[in-house]
Amino acid sequence: MEHLGLSLALFGAALAAALAGIGSAIGIGVAGGAAAGVMTEDPNKFGSCLILQALPGTQGIYGLLIAFFVLNKLGLLGGAGAVALTWNQGLQILASCLPIAVVGWYSAIWQGKTSAASIQMISKKPEAMGKAIILPAMVETYAVLALLTSILMLMGVQVG
Amino acid sequence: MGVARLKKAELYYHKSVHEEIAAVLQNSGACQIISTQEENYAPPADVEALISKTDEKLSDIRYLTRTLTPHYVDPIPALDRMLGERPEATMSELEELAAATDLKAVCETTRSIEQETGNVRLQLSEARMNASLLSALDFFPYQLSIITEGTRTVAGLVGTLKAANVSGFKAALGDLSKFKDDSEIVIAPYDEKAQEVYAAVIYARSAESEIREVCAKQGLSIVEVPASLKGTPEDELEKVKSSLIELEAREADLAKKIADLAQECVPTVQKLSDYYNSLSARYNGTAKSDSTECTMLTKFWIPADKAESLRQAVEAIGTDVDLSYSDPAPEDEPPSLLNNGDTVRPFNILTELYSSPTYRGIDPTPLLAPFFWVFFGMCLGDAGYALVVFGTILYVFRKYRKIAPGVKDFIRLFLFCSVSTFIYGVISGSFFGNFIDSFLPPLIPLKNSLMLVDPMTNPMQVLGISLLLGVIHLMFGLLIAAYDKLRHGEFIDAIGNDISWFLLIVGLCLYGVGLGGMLPPHFVQVGGGMAGLGAVIIFLYAGKGEPNIFKKVINGFLALYGSTSYLGDILSYSRLLALGFGSAVIGMVINLLGGLAADIPYVGWLVAVVVIIGGHIFSIAINILGSFVHPLRLQYVEFFGKFYSGGGEPFTPLTLSQEYVNVRA
Repeated sequence: MEHLGLSLALFGAALAAALAGIGSAIGIGVAGGAAAGVMTEDPNKFGSCLILQALPGTQGIYGLLIAFFVLNKLGLLGGAGAVALTWNQGLQILASCLPIAVVGWYSAIWQGKTSAASIQMISKKPEAMGKAIILPAMVETYAVLALLTSILMLMGVQVG
Repeated sequence: MGVARLKKAELYYHKSVHEEIAAVLQNSGACQIISTQEENYAPPADVEALISKTDEKLSDIRYLTRTLTPHYVDPIPALDRMLGERPEATMSELEELAAATDLKAVCETTRSIEQETGNVRLQLSEARMNASLLSALDFFPYQLSIITEGTRTVAGLVGTLKAANVSGFKAALGDLSKFKDDSEIVIAPYDEKAQEVYAAVIYARSAESEIREVCAKQGLSIVEVPASLKGTPEDELEKVKSSLIELEAREADLAKKIADLAQECVPTVQKLSDYYNSLSARYNGTAKSDSTECTMLTKFWIPADKAESLRQAVEAIGTDVDLSYSDPAPEDEPPSLLNNGDTVRPFNILTELYSSPTYRGIDPTPLLAPFFWVFFGMCLGDAGYALVVFGTILYVFRKYRKIAPGVKDFIRLFLFCSVSTFIYGVISGSFFGNFIDSFLPPLIPLKNSLMLVDPMTNPMQVLGISLLLGVIHLMFGLLIAAYDKLRHGEFIDAIGNDISWFLLIVGLCLYGVGLGGMLPPHFVQVGGGMAGLGAVIIFLYAGKGEPNIFKKVINGFLALYGSTSYLGDILSYSRLLALGFGSAVIGMVINLLGGLAADIPYVGWLVAVVVIIGGHIFSIAINILGSFVHPLRLQYVEFFGKFYSGGGEPFTPLTLSQEYVNVRA
């Protein structure tokens, strides 16, 4: 049982990177479908479509960021070797990863849907690009808040 | 600063000079024509004629653009084009070009090539179908004319049949009394796995109906053989193959022809497109004017500072003109033009992306600019990234001298913001993430000596700063709202709606900070007093005009409950910490990966350089997007929510079309 703490912490890092990544993949996929549809009509919209499609991609990056944060905290990056962790500390790190894992996952999907709708919007009204970017960004707020929560929780956990 | 003052112009002139007048108005680029007509008003006949003539040309140009552009290889790279590297032309040069170009002839040539290509493609697909049919029919030993024409007494048919049905099919035909010796069944050779086989039946015409009936019953689906095929399948296949080669050569030839034509004509077509679109806009502007038999009246809006130079230009045309200016009447709704100096102008686009202010409204651009500048800097927050952005933009400005003003302002916005990014990067100790700590240890003392905040080890400090900036931003918004209401004499609303909340929130902040011991203790009392006063005003104002005492109380409490939305607004600014943190940590991760890659034997340093450079470029791109979008959201949702709703019509003057060419007057 001596490595249970480390395993729990790694499980948390894996959840953060994986769930948020899955969410972003779905969100970008949904938006990409809409973008491809619009571009069959007007290939010149590639630039604006790409920006809107990229918006739900940040959750995956936030998840990755938290995963690296955890790995760094555990001393798994670089040659220093892993720090010793009680199972309780491991569980704390796992808990810290959950906000960005769960919120990142769901918010990326919904942000993708909003992006898809925004892409439809600029196909009719290219001049509304500003508004089209803001709508998906409203969804991302909650991923940013979850990222912040995860970061603050992780910084609070004492290890080593 | 703010929304530009406009003048309403009334220009009377003799009909004979309407083209010159319209050209002057268009070339000035400062006149938005006002439509003066009633419904069912028809513009003068000669203006109508000019419009329809231009429309005709434009329809040719649209056809050519649509057909030729896909075959055109632009010698100017798309990025250069966007940054203003385009052909230059004056309107008179374009006029000469238009006179020298026979658009109709180019259209004719294009149409004939297009038509011929269509024909060749049709023949090609027919020939390809025939070729595949003929190679399937190679089992058939006779001339195909037996099937396609037949003789006086004999005819034939070909079809496909399920392989399993072949023996049943043969037997059924053999049983038929009329199927005598002059009939024959030919089945294509097939292996056991085949699903379908080709079968041909040759028969006496007298037995045709019975045989067709049996074939249908046995599930033979008849294949139509084109009447043009008469010889044996082998011979015909030879012929089809040689015609295929010839057709493909013709297709390639036509493709080259149209590509050459595109290369030759598209630049001209693009120039003429701008020329005729400019003319069309000009004539349609004139068509909005009022006219009598000899006189015309054009009304337009013009920025007050351009009025005098336009007057000179107009009066140079002749004496048959009369131009008078007046200030907008109270019932007018003039369009709005943002008029900000060089420092604020790049931020105009942020306001315009939301919605232009009304003519008499507040221009929020100078108000949001400093906040956006600071917020962007905190979100990107890296001195190294700032240097990259700054350097790239300087290079672009140096290399491209003809960037269109709107594009240039947008780029300049990022130039400005890279300065705030640099400052925040220095005080938070971020240079390409933790590049200094990882790879340049001698510089660590310098970096540390410049650091004022440290989000990595003390994030609560930066969170506090973010929220404080949020409070300042929101309170500033409330004060603007109050000012706007006072300007219109709505004294009570200003106090009840805006000042009250200002007192409550600032009071609560002072109270809290005072309790925390960061300010002298009497701030606790001052803060408490302010908050209490604010709360009382909110409570009373919400119940105003409500006769029922219970409803008054309920409304009051509901209004106070609205303070939760302020809590949400303020917490929303925590994204400044989160995004700044995000870019710093992404940078750190990239350096870490680069450091790990450097351990690979022999090629490690190369991999490390690629990872670090590529990684940071990616990081800059993704973080600029985030650092643009999120501060913008703070302006639009939190800040504008307090005082601004836009709703104005942007000023859209009559200008020359500049889609492909930098057209000058």
